[in-house]
Amino acid sequence: MNSRPASTLTLLARLGFDDLGAAKSTIDALDATPGAGGITEHLDLFSLAADPDRALRGLQSLLDRHADALAPALEDPSWMRRIIRVLGASEGLGQFLLRRPDELAALREQLGEPRDTEVYRRDIVEAVAGLTGEDARLALRVRYRRHLLQLAAWDLDHDDPLTAMPAVGCALADLAGASLDAGLDIARRECGFPDAQVAATRLAIIGMGKCGARELNYLSDVDVIYAVEAGDGIETGRAVEIGTRLASMTARSIQEPGIEPPLWEVDANLRPEGKDGALVRSLDSHRAYYERWAKNWEFQALLKARPIAGDPEVGEGFLAITQPLVWESSQRDGFVEQVQGMRERVTAHIPADEVDVQVKLGPGGLRDIEFTVQLLQLVHGNHDDRVRQRDSLGALAALAECGYIGRAEAAEFSGDYRLLRVIEHRLQLDRLSRTHLMPRDADRQRVIARATGLASSAEELLSQWQRTKLAVRSLHEKLFYRPLLSAVAKLPDEQLALTSDQAEARLAAIGFVDPERALQHIAALTGGVSRRAAIQRTLLPVILQWLADGADPDHGLLSFRRLSDALGETYWFLRMLRDSSGAAQRLSTVLAASHFVGALFERIPEGAAWLEDDDELRPRPLAALLDEVRATVARHTGDDDAAAKALRVARRRETLRVALAAMVDVIDVQQLGVALSDVTTAYLTGALALAHTYGDGVEFAIIAMGRYGGAELGFGSDADVIYVFRDAGAGDRAATVAQRIVTRLGQLTEDLRLPCELDAGLRPEGRNGPIVRSLDSYRAYYERWSLTWEAQALLRARPAAGDGALSADFMDVADAVRYPSTFGEAEAREVRRIKARVESERLPQAADPARHLKLGRGSLSDVEWFVQLLQLRHAHEEPALRTPSTLGALAAAADAGLLPSRDAERLRAAWLIASRVRSAAMLWTGRTADVLPADRRQLDAIARLLAYPPKSAALLEEDYLRTTRLARQVFEKGFYAT
Amino acid sequence: MDKQRDFVLRTIEERGVKFVRLWFTDVVGTLKMVAIAPAEVEGAFAEGLGIDGSSIEGFTRAYEADVLAHPDPTTFQILPWRGDVDPTARMFCDITTPDGQPAAADPRQVLKRTLAKAADAGFTFYTHPEIEFYLLKSSKFGPEGPQPVDSAGYFDNVPGGSAHDFRRRAVRMLEDLGISVEFSHHEAGPGQNEIDLRYADALTTADNIQTFRTVVKEVAIEQGVYATFMPKPLEKHPGSGMHTHMSLFEGDTNAFFDPGGQYQLSQIGRQFVAGLLHHAPEITAVTNQFVNSYKRIWSGDEAPSYVTWGHNNRSALVRVPLYKPGKGQSARVEYRGLDSAANPYLAYSLLLAAGLKGIENGYELPPEAEDTVWALSESERRALGYKGLPASLDRALGLMEDSELVAETLGEQVFNYVLLNKRREWREYRAQVTPYELSSNLEIL
Repeated sequence: MNSRPASTLTLLARLGFDDLGAAKSTIDALDATPGAGGITEHLDLFSLAADPDRALRGLQSLLDRHADALAPALEDPSWMRRIIRVLGASEGLGQFLLRRPDELAALREQLGEPRDTEVYRRDIVEAVAGLTGEDARLALRVRYRRHLLQLAAWDLDHDDPLTAMPAVGCALADLAGASLDAGLDIARRECGFPDAQVAATRLAIIGMGKCGARELNYLSDVDVIYAVEAGDGIETGRAVEIGTRLASMTARSIQEPGIEPPLWEVDANLRPEGKDGALVRSLDSHRAYYERWAKNWEFQALLKARPIAGDPEVGEGFLAITQPLVWESSQRDGFVEQVQGMRERVTAHIPADEVDVQVKLGPGGLRDIEFTVQLLQLVHGNHDDRVRQRDSLGALAALAECGYIGRAEAAEFSGDYRLLRVIEHRLQLDRLSRTHLMPRDADRQRVIARATGLASSAEELLSQWQRTKLAVRSLHEKLFYRPLLSAVAKLPDEQLALTSDQAEARLAAIGFVDPERALQHIAALTGGVSRRAAIQRTLLPVILQWLADGADPDHGLLSFRRLSDALGETYWFLRMLRDSSGAAQRLSTVLAASHFVGALFERIPEGAAWLEDDDELRPRPLAALLDEVRATVARHTGDDDAAAKALRVARRRETLRVALAAMVDVIDVQQLGVALSDVTTAYLTGALALAHTYGDGVEFAIIAMGRYGGAELGFGSDADVIYVFRDAGAGDRAATVAQRIVTRLGQLTEDLRLPCELDAGLRPEGRNGPIVRSLDSYRAYYERWSLTWEAQALLRARPAAGDGALSADFMDVADAVRYPSTFGEAEAREVRRIKARVESERLPQAADPARHLKLGRGSLSDVEWFVQLLQLRHAHEEPALRTPSTLGALAAAADAGLLPSRDAERLRAAWLIASRVRSAAMLWTGRTADVLPADRRQLDAIARLLAYPPKSAALLEEDYLRTTRLARQVFEKGFYAT
Repeated sequence: MDKQRDFVLRTIEERGVKFVRLWFTDVVGTLKMVAIAPAEVEGAFAEGLGIDGSSIEGFTRAYEADVLAHPDPTTFQILPWRGDVDPTARMFCDITTPDGQPAAADPRQVLKRTLAKAADAGFTFYTHPEIEFYLLKSSKFGPEGPQPVDSAGYFDNVPGGSAHDFRRRAVRMLEDLGISVEFSHHEAGPGQNEIDLRYADALTTADNIQTFRTVVKEVAIEQGVYATFMPKPLEKHPGSGMHTHMSLFEGDTNAFFDPGGQYQLSQIGRQFVAGLLHHAPEITAVTNQFVNSYKRIWSGDEAPSYVTWGHNNRSALVRVPLYKPGKGQSARVEYRGLDSAANPYLAYSLLLAAGLKGIENGYELPPEAEDTVWALSESERRALGYKGLPASLDRALGLMEDSELVAETLGEQVFNYVLLNKRREWREYRAQVTPYELSSNLEIL
């Protein structure tokens, strides 16, 4: 009766066998086995198996051990088809059949559809009727698995698994409910309380999570909450006591080890007070809890609640209490934080090595869809009960139906959701295990692919999955943000239109403080028929999302609007928005993080273009800046005001460039110092070229001092300078001419938008001395009168602008003063004394020394004075110390063994954190800050700029205080102690 | 927690509580309170109660002017001394900043943070203090100093019995507050008493100490006397210490117990003691925070002036008592340096941190002190390597300032505040011209 062609290896390969040799010898052996013909006769059925090798092995084992049970099936190709389907896709069900061969009969009939809730319930409860103990558990579990077997066969055999998926989820949830009912039935017999009292204990089991939503997986924990009411003849307290026993015994029937393995975990941790709370509560107690104590996430969980077993009236009573509360949750305080928390949970806690194989978590996973759908439901369900659906697919459909999201998107993501769920189902079915991870092994991937019925090879499935992941990643933007636009602009491609109240509710939920104003900005940005409006309609949803992640979304949106208005139809701006999401994201991030940048963009909107290209962001070298300055001055010969204006524009532009570079981490704080110093130098060079007329009989130079001299400027630092001239023919008039140059410099460099304070306070005699001196006067002064602090100030002198020869001669004078061949204890004591006086006098009244960034305990000035004292004492014999840079000199001193490297490291760390906080404070507020802010919001914003995670105010504060305290310890020992 | 809150609100209703006092402690250790009406309690649980911190020691800077007090429902108690007229209850609070982070200057948060660190290492910290204090006739004092209620020895012998009433009343109140105690009257000083609080986790103990001080003060007022926890109120009589027994548990096991160890003290216990000794000088500015504290430490007798440990040695700083056989769970060590005026939250934080440091770094325990340390000569002590505790608040502050352990444990802000505040105290103290100087110098100079 062997009518089929010989089982060639080619044929086996075509059917999908993997290990051809083994398969062939098995088949050959079966051919020779009496009664096994049914297996080999319909070999083509194996092409339906996810894993034909496994199906064949499974059949052989059944034949070996349970030939009688298998025999009738061998006669029936349809029956065989279902057996082969199941064996091929599920090792777990294969083992069940080996344990319970009689259950093969369950596959005899083709299931038309999964059965009704009540059919499952009756059947499983009937299976345990009158039973107790191990018998009862065995009966319950075997009966559950019989239905699971049938359901899996139906699912695997379905033409369109994506269509079948929702029904499978429902059936699994119904089976879980039915099993709990059966478990409860057993518990009532076994619990040991008087029968009448047990009968009067009305226990309801409420399904939560996916079970409540009737979208359960093949294998996952079943989340439940128990509620009890006392029937006739017992008190509530007694009902709770009995109910608690019943609940824990019910769970045991399901999950404790036994002859037939347990089904799944019953998880009651979503109950009031979680693990520590009472397992079972009366309805009144639930009411009291949810009305008074429950947290927002608990209401979010209640979104899915549904009575699944036990007393249906009590279950409905539970819903009647809790459902109204669910929908008030978006009105509660802290909702925004809760939402952010939800998002963090979505993105966090995935081990890095699992990200690419996670079907559920991770970017583009199931959790992304669930998060977006739930958030939309919570925001809108408050006013619209039509979107109050438990399951994700139902909610998607309802949200589309009611116009909160586009129909096309809803359909698209519904498809994506089903695809991910089908993959997840097949993964779990494989071993009947609770996994969400795609195997890495190519053979196993192939099995999963074949099991889905959607792909015949691993590659095909993986590429479908990748496409879906990508689509899902944009889901949040498309469903949550994009419809915001519809509240203010008619979107040509969509039917839906949110009301402004609905849109404002969404904006408030993600952290906009003034959603009404935000909506106006959105209207302005997207209104009209311009190309820009069209492009912004496309991009704004994602920009809103980026802004919402920043410290000040409202201000970010305002700045974006201004920028967009200023740039109008500029070609590159539109292109940048359209093509380069990296640049657009950077733009949104800096706008929401920095008022300083926002203000500069108002003047230099074209700066946005640099964000596309790190090379554009890199500070321009000094030589290039100077070239531009010279060209500018030359171009405006005869019109100083126009030239000065052009120089101002250039300075603002380059400052903006540096600010952007610092914010997107193209440069660090040390490079920032150099860059800002270069910008200042170029600016002063230009201004001096205007102020100092060629051939007026004097040479003139500007010497950089202080932090400017050290090329360590931050945003908002003054530029310390001194001025020097030399007579070149002007004779007696030279001093007057020089004085006039200084005055003119001050006028030319005035900039109210981005002030450039030239501070000449470090000149000889300080504010009492003449503002400008001749080189000879400097020489004479320093030789005769020089005070220690003046020598110290000169340590950071560096030529900035003006005549090169004069500058060089000045530096020679300076070197003799600042690197003295002898620097005795008396001089050192003088430095210490002045420092001590500065500490007590310069610190503003009521300022907290621990928080002052410049003059505070262990902050900038401590580090600078420490380094300068070392330089004064040792630079003469240690040339490496001769640098105007504080950190440079500190490193050189450590190299030279002048201080322990651990001390140097502490000082450096303090200098860096104080400098970074100062610059960040300026970037954030647009105003200079001399103290670490106290306000939590300011601190949080500064911390974000310093690359701390959000909500790190306290952490930054502690870090700052610790770092500066340690530096102060070094300072106290190394500076004051002799 | 939620169940506790439920209980609190229910009790307020059932007992007709009229006022609820929210208690918290400033950096110095002074108990602060805000009274609210029962209707506000629910809101205080949910969102915290905004309080103006600018008038509170340690919260004084502008940025902490706005803080929130979050009552801890597990600490709810009806205050017994208010009687049945206008029943009043109290809860301890945690203080947070408006953005919900623990306020840096809240001592209770400091202890919670330190306990959490111990929990990360698998330990729970239990303490049991013996609190000494004096009962005086009044807080006024004449040239002879304060007057104790009895100049005799035992309480009970004092005719008129006000002291007897005091004891009965205080025990009753403490027990009504859920704090069980053992009273004893010292022979050592007239009017001096000692009360032992039951073993509890350190946070509960610290809360209990704060409650205890309040109760003792209240009862004293009721009885027309005055109670003081000042470390050394009477020059000629011993000071008031707060010897504290400590132990670490790992789950249900006492980590200090090892039946085979010397004095049945485990390796962890030895390292803990070594940590206490190693860091004792630098934490003294907190465990003994007043100028006056150092007059107790250096008063001789049983005061623990030197950094030593011993077994049943009443002159040692750390004592390892012998446990009854089969009572391994009661294995503990006793730190005798602490005085009754310490801020219990900060002091326990530092003792725990010092002990943990010993465990973490595997400190070696130095040899035991078997002699009465006081009786040795200075050279003998030097030879044996017994270092003294700081001789004054000033010295203690100098040691603390260099201590990473203290800075890390207290947090930068409390650390800074304690230094500033105590430096001020030292300056004010030093500025005085004392009767001693006048009587011994004026006539001869």
